[in-house]
Amino acid sequence: MRLFLDFVPVLVWAILAVVLVGGMLFASWVLRPHVLQNSEKTSSYECGEEPIGPARIAYPYNYLVYTILFVVVDVMGAFLWLLAGSSFRLDVGIVWQVLVFVLIIMGGMGFAMKKLPETFLSGQETLTLYRKAKTERELKELETGGH
Amino acid sequence: MIPLSWYLAVSFILIGLGAYGMMVKRNLIRILIGAEIMGNGVNIALVAVSIYSPAFSFVGQGLIILVISVAAAHTALAMVLMLIYNRRYDTVDLGTPISLEDDEHV
Amino acid sequence: MMQIDIWFEQLEFVLIAGIVIFLAWLALEHRNIVYAAFFFGFMASFVAGFYLLLEAPFIAGMQIAVYTGGISALIVFAVLLLPRAQDSSLETFASPRRRRIGLVVSSLVGMLSASLALFFPWYDTFSPDLPPLEFNLELLSQWLWSEHGIYVMMTALILLTAIVGAIAILQMDKAESLISIEGEFGIESVEESIDDEVSVEEPSEEVGNE
Repeated sequence: MRLFLDFVPVLVWAILAVVLVGGMLFASWVLRPHVLQNSEKTSSYECGEEPIGPARIAYPYNYLVYTILFVVVDVMGAFLWLLAGSSFRLDVGIVWQVLVFVLIIMGGMGFAMKKLPETFLSGQETLTLYRKAKTERELKELETGGH
Repeated sequence: MIPLSWYLAVSFILIGLGAYGMMVKRNLIRILIGAEIMGNGVNIALVAVSIYSPAFSFVGQGLIILVISVAAAHTALAMVLMLIYNRRYDTVDLGTPISLEDDEHV
Repeated sequence: MMQIDIWFEQLEFVLIAGIVIFLAWLALEHRNIVYAAFFFGFMASFVAGFYLLLEAPFIAGMQIAVYTGGISALIVFAVLLLPRAQDSSLETFASPRRRRIGLVVSSLVGMLSASLALFFPWYDTFSPDLPPLEFNLELLSQWLWSEHGIYVMMTALILLTAIVGAIAILQMDKAESLISIEGEFGIESVEESIDDEVSVEEPSEEVGNE
C-alpha cells in the first residue's frame, strides 16, 4: 500500500496512453469514408502480379545474435543499476568485484564482436545458398506439379 | 493485510499452468512460453516467502535477481537450439518422426 | 479508515492476479502464435505489479527490464524468424486425451508444490509485517555485492556461456549449410576464390537475382 501512492503517476500515464491511442483510432474510424471493400481492393500490392501465399519472409538468423547480446547487456545493466542506486554506502572493496564483473561480460562482448563477421555470409556464399534453395524449390514444384 | 497463502496460491496456479503448457503442447515455442510462465510462478513464491518470513534478510530478493538473469541466459540458448531444430527438420512440431539413419544433410 | 485500506489492497491483489492468470492462459492457448508471444510479454509486466504489491520495487524494475524487454523480445524474435510457425493452419494441436492427461498431471504438480509449501512446520511463523522500505536499494546492493559477490561473478560466467554458445551454434549452423554440394544440379561449391568486386565473368545458369 505504501508503494501505490508512489506509482500513481505510472497508472495515470498508462491510462493516458490507452485513452490517447484508442481515441486516435476511434477518430480515424469516424473520419474515414465508409465504402465497401472487396477482395481485390484489400489484397496486397505486388507490382501487378498475383500474390500467392502469406507474406512472411524468413529473416537471416544473424539478428538473433544481436537480441541475445542485448539481453546479456541488459542483465549487466540491471546489476549495475542496483549498485548505482545505493548512494555509495558500500565499502571500497566492492570496486574490484564490479570491475571483474564488467570485464567478464565485456570480454564476452569482445569475443562476439570479433567472431560475428565470420558468421555472416559473404557474397559468394549467399549466391550458393540462393541457387541451392532455388533448385530445391524447382525440384519440389516438379514433383508436386505446380502445387 | 494479504495473507501469504494468497500469494502462494497464485504461484501454484502459475506453476500448474506452466507445467500443463510444457506437457500438452506440441509447438516448441509454446513449450518455451510454458517454461517461462513456470519460472515466473516460482519467482513470485520466492519473493513472497522471503518478505513474509519472520527473520527478514534479503535472501529472497537477491536470489530472485540471480534467478532472473540465469533464466534470461538459458532462454537465449533454448531459442538458438530451437532454430537449429527448425533448420534441420523444417518444422517446430515436436511430434515429427525423427529417424536416426544417416541421410544427406538437407 | 483501516477498513478501506485493507479492502483496497485486496482488490488490487485480486485484479492483478486475475489479469496475470488470464494472460498466462491466453499465452498458452491462443491459436495465433504471434499473439501468444505478445501476451507473454504483457503477463511479465503484470507480474511486476505483483512485486510492487510485495514491496520489492527493484525486483519489479528488473522484471520489466529483463523479462518484458529481453526474454519476451527473444520469443517474439523466434516467432518472427520461423515463418513455418506463424501459419496457424499448419500447427497440430493436442488431442483431448493428451489434454486430459496433462491437466491431471499438472494439477498433481501444483498440489505437490502447494503441500510442500503449506504443510511445513515453519509455515505458522510467517508474520505479515513488512521490511523497511527506505534503504531497500542500499541494503539489497550490500547483500548482493559485498556479502555474496561470488554469485554475481558466477552469473557473469553464465551470461558469458550464453554469448559464446549462441555464436558457436550460429557458426556451426552456417558451416553445416554450406557443405559443398556437387552433383545433379550443377551447383558450385565455395572453394573457389571469393571476390566480390572483381567478378570478371561467372558461370551463370540464370540471371534470376539482382
